[in-house]
Amino acid sequence: MADAEDNGEFYLRYYVGHKGKFGHEFLEFEFRPDGKLRYANNSNYKNDTMIRKEVFLTPAVLKECRRIVSDSEIMKEDDNNWPEPDRVGRQELEIVMGNEHISFTTSKIGSLMDVQTSKDPEGLRIFYYLVQDLKCFVFSLISLHFKIKPI
Amino acid sequence: MANAEVEAVDFEPDDDDLMDEDVGDGSPSRAAATIPRLKSAITGGGSSTPKKTKGRGFRDEAAAEADRNARMAGRFDSLDSDGGPGPERSIEGWIVLVTGVHEEAQEDDLQNAFGEYGEIKNLHLNLDRRTGFVKGYGLIEFEKFDEAQQAINEMDGTELLTQTINVDWAFSKGPFRRRNMRRRSPRGHRSRSPRRRF
Repeated sequence: MADAEDNGEFYLRYYVGHKGKFGHEFLEFEFRPDGKLRYANNSNYKNDTMIRKEVFLTPAVLKECRRIVSDSEIMKEDDNNWPEPDRVGRQELEIVMGNEHISFTTSKIGSLMDVQTSKDPEGLRIFYYLVQDLKCFVFSLISLHFKIKPI
Repeated sequence: MANAEVEAVDFEPDDDDLMDEDVGDGSPSRAAATIPRLKSAITGGGSSTPKKTKGRGFRDEAAAEADRNARMAGRFDSLDSDGGPGPERSIEGWIVLVTGVHEEAQEDDLQNAFGEYGEIKNLHLNLDRRTGFVKGYGLIEFEKFDEAQQAINEMDGTELLTQTINVDWAFSKGPFRRRNMRRRSPRGHRSRSPRRRF
């Protein structure tokens, strides 16, 4: 099992967003096979503009991202019983790992209550926590690389 | 797969190298050209085996792709770099990734282990959002390249709280080539015509 995951392709993309009063507000990031991490965060709230950052990651970072994904076992799940994207919002998670390619879509998840009351609480819980862990990872990478520390 | 690979590397796909680069010029056609490659071929120039696909995201691909292109097109900010190989400096220092961190490790453990190489300007030790334990990686910022390099050289492969850690740079100046992609041929910018046979 280690072989199939350690070797071969790796690609990951996550999107969460909605369209509303403040335009198309979304967060999206993408780990590309060549090491490039792209990050975009858009909102027109108070006339804010889009933030777009990109940086090349080393193989060590991609390897850690793969480990986080494979430890979650998200590749074994399926979104067919997850709530469909709706007016409130949409999430997309697309991952290529080894010879598997998943592309899941679902609505926004407000809290664990939404997970517990869904038709596939086990699978949706895995998704819910994986997304949080990935966001932590990406926010750390992006803020460390681009943000100046205030005094 | 072996046969396709041999043919693919005989001519130098320089054009593919351009496509690997960012769609910095903001032109939608280049964005459209890049994204389908990621979905169908995922670099490697078509050498990848067909994937097992799963999920609702594969429905309605054209519309989703158009949305994605619109979102991910345009200029993305990055720090200036010469694009060569090697680690890249971050905004105020050099970031090092530590993996294999024990789940009960605390920031102090990393401070003590790495602090001797230089003042640690920033330290992120993220927690697993479900369990509350350490997720397994840490990011450490040193002000100077030499401090970070020495930390990598001396700490990579050592033990922290009974577990082996790995230490390496986090950011790179350019893309890395996967093993089965050839570097630029020494023949240079040749056309695709076959070799002359005498």
